[in-house]
Amino acid sequence: MTLAELLSQARDGDQLAWDAIVERFSGLLWATARAHRLSAAQAADVIQNTWLRLVENLDRIQDPDRLGAWLATTARRECLRTIRLGARELPTDEEWMWDVPSDDEIDSGLIERERDTALWRAFRVIGERCQALLRMIAAPDPPSYEEIGAALEMPIGAIGPTRARCLDKLRRNLALEGADLR
Amino acid sequence: MSADDDDDSLEQELGELLGRADPIPPTVLQAGRAALGWRRLDAELAELLADSVLGSDELALARGAEAPVRSVTFGTGERAIDLDVEERGAGRTLRGQLSPPAPVTVEVQRQDGTTLASVRADRFGRFVVELAGAGTIRLRLAGEPQLGTIETAWITV
Repeated sequence: MTLAELLSQARDGDQLAWDAIVERFSGLLWATARAHRLSAAQAADVIQNTWLRLVENLDRIQDPDRLGAWLATTARRECLRTIRLGARELPTDEEWMWDVPSDDEIDSGLIERERDTALWRAFRVIGERCQALLRMIAAPDPPSYEEIGAALEMPIGAIGPTRARCLDKLRRNLALEGADLR
Repeated sequence: MSADDDDDSLEQELGELLGRADPIPPTVLQAGRAALGWRRLDAELAELLADSVLGSDELALARGAEAPVRSVTFGTGERAIDLDVEERGAGRTLRGQLSPPAPVTVEVQRQDGTTLASVRADRFGRFVVELAGAGTIRLRLAGEPQLGTIETAWITV
């Protein structure tokens, strides 16, 4: 089903069509909020406000193909609101995601766990801008450049070169961690 | 292997790592699905038109973080609702102004379906609501035949 059809059915109150929209774009919105370094609770609020904003505007979305970019822009504004209103409560870097994977999270053997730990450490030191961009690019159902640009307020033309530079940094840090490049 | 293939596989690996380490909480998806229940059926939307927290003017931005009063404007085609949100400890004081004025009833609604407060605007369209805590709310204005029913966009105060 196309986005235009899903939107039109959601407008008529079709829960299944709405669910499909939520499932399709939640990865984009979660990545957007986390790329802004919000805590899990703040990210949940931002995403909920973004969906409420879409519900309010269901009959005004002009171009269904740009729904992802519209959602990403809306989520970014909600992120900025949260950051500016709660500047004092911003999570520390440690709280942002996780430190090292626990045994429960990764049960596929020691070697892979070491590799994950090395990759995580390498990712931690590539800088906020690179972390944000790679967080978006590595999201499930990879967002389009238009959506990434909207989420991070980054010119679309800058995404490709920045991505290459950030991956390069990540790879070099990974080598410093002594991990094999697979 | 080309550099592009290398990039793709590193990104894929990072994506898998982040997917395991930082998945979307199921409650976030559930809440998103439930948001459709807030479709407006009988009311006109007053959109969020301005918010001092996101103000474009540099001075407002610089003040933003510390300013005790945040100014928000909602509007329909014909009416505007200006709302000042003042932080008072955990609580919030909302001072509103409907223009053109009308002596409407103003309800503060929460996402769990409860109404936090219900006050009447005076003949100048002014109203004041005290909230015990922060949260995501919207205003529902009704009770004037010419006005119909207006609901504002949701905001987190």
